[in-house]
Amino acid sequence: MKKILAAFLSATMLLGLLAGCGGGSASSGAASSSSGSGAAASSGSGKEIVINYPTFQVGVNTSAPVISALVEGFNEKYAGQYKIVVEEVPGDANYAEKIQVMISTGSLPPVVYGGGYKLLDLALAQDLVVDLTPYVEADPEWKAQYNDASMAANARDGKIYASSMEGSLVGYFYNKDLFAQAGIDAAPKTWDEFFADCDKLIAAGITPMAMDTADGAWCSQLMMGAMIATSGDEGLAFMNTKYPTDYNQDVVVKAVEKLQWLYQNCTTLDAVGGAYENAANNFYTENVAIIANGPWMIGDFSDTTLVEEGFNEKVGVAAYPGGFVYDEPIEGMFVTKQSDPALEEAAIAMVRYFTSDEAQEMALNMQGMVPASPTAEISDEALSTFPLLGDFLSQAAECELRSPTFTSNMVPGLESEWSNNLPNLATGNISAADLCQILSNFAASAQ
Amino acid sequence: MLNKASTPAEKIVKVLGYIFMAVCLIVALFPIVWVIMSSFKSNKEIMANGLALPTSFAFTGYQEALKIAPILKFFGNSVIITCCSTCINVLSLAMAGYIFAKKRFRGREVLYAILSISLMIPMTSVLHPVYLIINKLGLYDTKAALVLVYSALSMPMSLMILRSTFEGIPTSLEEAAYVDGAGFVRTFFQIMLPCAKGGLASAAVLAFLDGWNEFTFALLLTSSDKARTLPLALSYFSSQFSFNYTAMFAAITIAVIPSIVLFAIFQEQVVSSMTAGSVKG
Repeated sequence: MKKILAAFLSATMLLGLLAGCGGGSASSGAASSSSGSGAAASSGSGKEIVINYPTFQVGVNTSAPVISALVEGFNEKYAGQYKIVVEEVPGDANYAEKIQVMISTGSLPPVVYGGGYKLLDLALAQDLVVDLTPYVEADPEWKAQYNDASMAANARDGKIYASSMEGSLVGYFYNKDLFAQAGIDAAPKTWDEFFADCDKLIAAGITPMAMDTADGAWCSQLMMGAMIATSGDEGLAFMNTKYPTDYNQDVVVKAVEKLQWLYQNCTTLDAVGGAYENAANNFYTENVAIIANGPWMIGDFSDTTLVEEGFNEKVGVAAYPGGFVYDEPIEGMFVTKQSDPALEEAAIAMVRYFTSDEAQEMALNMQGMVPASPTAEISDEALSTFPLLGDFLSQAAECELRSPTFTSNMVPGLESEWSNNLPNLATGNISAADLCQILSNFAASAQ
Repeated sequence: MLNKASTPAEKIVKVLGYIFMAVCLIVALFPIVWVIMSSFKSNKEIMANGLALPTSFAFTGYQEALKIAPILKFFGNSVIITCCSTCINVLSLAMAGYIFAKKRFRGREVLYAILSISLMIPMTSVLHPVYLIINKLGLYDTKAALVLVYSALSMPMSLMILRSTFEGIPTSLEEAAYVDGAGFVRTFFQIMLPCAKGGLASAAVLAFLDGWNEFTFALLLTSSDKARTLPLALSYFSSQFSFNYTAMFAAITIAVIPSIVLFAIFQEQVVSSMTAGSVKG
């Protein structure tokens, strides 16, 4: 009896292990819609189809009110036909981690927002993504949203897989009062002027730059990438290369050398090891004069829990020296393959609604989010609500040099390697050439 | 003890002892006090000077925390899930610990080593299989899924504690029970289990803390408020380009107070059981 019981228990354990470890192989086709992992539950013909939509744009995320309004609008428009049920996944990194596990198990929800996490390529590698090309081709308004930058973010091998709802037009902000104290009248137009202004700020006892090294060193890499992009054709071509494998290029090494100089001479002590929050706070508290970041920061300049009253009046905005801005539609929403075609249709309708010009214009008016679509209108309402944004958009319109950011082009995983090595660069433990070699080695092995 | 006047050397040693204890106390209390203190400061104050005292004791952070994230719902879920998983863990591992401590059978040490070694398996390596098993069992987004996983997560530690606890109980007690006519089950539940109260409390506290603080599986195996736990709530307060530290520290205060209270109540049992069986002779 004991032996039978033992054998039964062992068999149960073994079955459990097999069930757990063996399921991944079945992921090459349609994403399972039966699991409760976020794949939608459609309730048959004639009934409302439910789209379960996991999103990190909740809580304090600046896009949370926009997503909430879009979900409400969609559910109202398609009442009785489709319904979005939001699954809140707070925290950007948590969302990416959860979607990555879902990709590996082949149980993706019907709609996934790629964001800045390269999720589209991971899902494509598992053949889980619906080709949107025929749907886009059949809809002239949708097709008009795809310019070269949008195609680069959302299409692969000529096929459109995703649709962007937000652009990423990025320059930098500066404190006009601190500039004036250092005798600087206007934002620099060339890099020589920029470094001369840094010297003037230092001479006036003002720390020039807000910088960071953690979480991809967002602020620092923006400034460095701009130096590469404006160094000439070679640099601009590098910045427009998706997944570069060779960082041992003269233009990159020189920019990294300048970045090292900025770390060692032009920033705060907490830059080494610090994240975006530290850099932002140094700018908010007027410890530094410059921060590189996107227009989504503009709302914070009036938030008195973060800054002193009237701080927004002191802030100026500029394109990078050399006439450059980052311009990259953020990887958009994509539809995943489902066993129920009706659910796929519902998911496509959701993506179309969320990425329409109307939706992007609403996001601009509500939160100052720059539209990804070239056909979306910049309203007077948005310009009066966010005057700094209007100023920046007019400056950006004159910039001919554009590219994605330095880290967004990196192969998956390289951003962490970059971030981990920056403290060594900042403290002089490694040289610019060493860091470029480390990046090249990682990128080559990842290929 | 005789009342003798202390020598200067003894006085110095005593003072140094108090200084050492004071330093230990500050080190232990500082993070808790700092978090609670920060929950009353504005974001600006927190970032400008983390160590400064709050300028006012407003409860806006707590109000915002409750508004931004469903903390109370998650708190309730955490209590249910953690209590259930702790009970299952302690009951089943008490049985296992008793058998490993008192019964001799072939392969006992090998089996014990296999179960103990699972302590060293990194959590990331079991994410995928656990996710698939829970989905196949139809338990995704249920409290039962987390109860099941948390019961298993603390298994090696509970087993080690309870085995050493049962080893410390004299076998003569067990034999006396058998002589008096008690069966195996009655001996375990009525004689051995009450004698192992210290170990049970210790294993329960550690299992409770593991479950209470667990984040990754709670994120992965749930999709709605009905099964989500408190650690997830803390992620509502910071994202890539925005943060609300005041509300976050308020939420942390709400989240950690039960753990601290529980540990404070049972700290003697935890410490004594962790060292039980370490000295023989």
